[in-house]
Amino acid sequence: MKDFWRGLLATLPLAPGVVAFGLLYGMMARQVGFSPWEAWAMSLIVHAGSAQFTAVGMWETDGAVPIVLTTLVINLRHLLLGASVAPYLRGLSPLWKALLALWMSDESYALAITAYEQGRGNHLYFLGANVGIYLSWPTGGLLGALLGAAIPDPSLYGLDLVFPLGFLGLLTAFLKDRIGVAVAVAAGGLALLGTVLLPGRWTIIVAGMLGSGLGLVLEEVERAWKRS
Amino acid sequence: MEKVVIFFGMAPVTYFTRYTMIAALGREVPPLLRRWLRYVPPAVLAALVVPAALAPQGHLEPGLPAWAVVAGAFVAWRTRSVLWTIVGGVAVFWILRMLGV
Repeated sequence: MKDFWRGLLATLPLAPGVVAFGLLYGMMARQVGFSPWEAWAMSLIVHAGSAQFTAVGMWETDGAVPIVLTTLVINLRHLLLGASVAPYLRGLSPLWKALLALWMSDESYALAITAYEQGRGNHLYFLGANVGIYLSWPTGGLLGALLGAAIPDPSLYGLDLVFPLGFLGLLTAFLKDRIGVAVAVAAGGLALLGTVLLPGRWTIIVAGMLGSGLGLVLEEVERAWKRS
Repeated sequence: MEKVVIFFGMAPVTYFTRYTMIAALGREVPPLLRRWLRYVPPAVLAALVVPAALAPQGHLEPGLPAWAVVAGAFVAWRTRSVLWTIVGGVAVFWILRMLGV
């Protein structure tokens, strides 16, 4: 149980960002005709921030099928996140795996995988991180929908920087050698290129796969170099 | 009410993306794949950070967020703390904004 609380508490520094974006989502949902309860229900049922923002943006112009398909495409990056955390979950029962997948967000994944990498992670920590984000995201959405149009843009207060800064803090755990640094630089550069050139929803998964693939290639090159 | 129907369409496709690989790699992960997957976290984390710093609106636009993230990188390097990285980066954002940068 102690590890569950550690995971839950680890989400606290990210909470201002989660709540700020929850408020913004709730306000936008209200503007396209959601009741506060409906805005809340969507967060509780779907629990996927970027997909929900996009869905709300499509609500008045697109039907159910495009919204669901777009949700799928936006969340495809979770296949990559799931694959990378899977080796750590191998000993768990199917029920635990199903439960951990349910509320896995970018943020709770990042906290959990870093804890695993540093040898202080386990399934209870992961669950705690998932629950922490799952508590704050819908709360922000409900409040935003109740308050309506009175919500200022989070970026005016730098609150949109909470996630990238948090991810940056976690990233340092993976920069132990030259290959790790090369992977981060390559993936960051590719993601920047992708953001400018590609439709945004493919960027993370493409940069994530190519960047990590480069890591494997460099590892092989280094091995071959040492052998020769 | 029909909104909730769409929510229950979005939820399973989201769950599919989260659960599939965790279930598929549930027993043996081939060593080569495993070594590849070990580089996924730094790649994904960097891919989440860099565009948010340099292209927050989707086009290249280095401004306050970029300086905040540079400051955050320094704090992260020195402290390795998520909390202090966030506090430091956002503080630099506020200070630069107050100075009218």
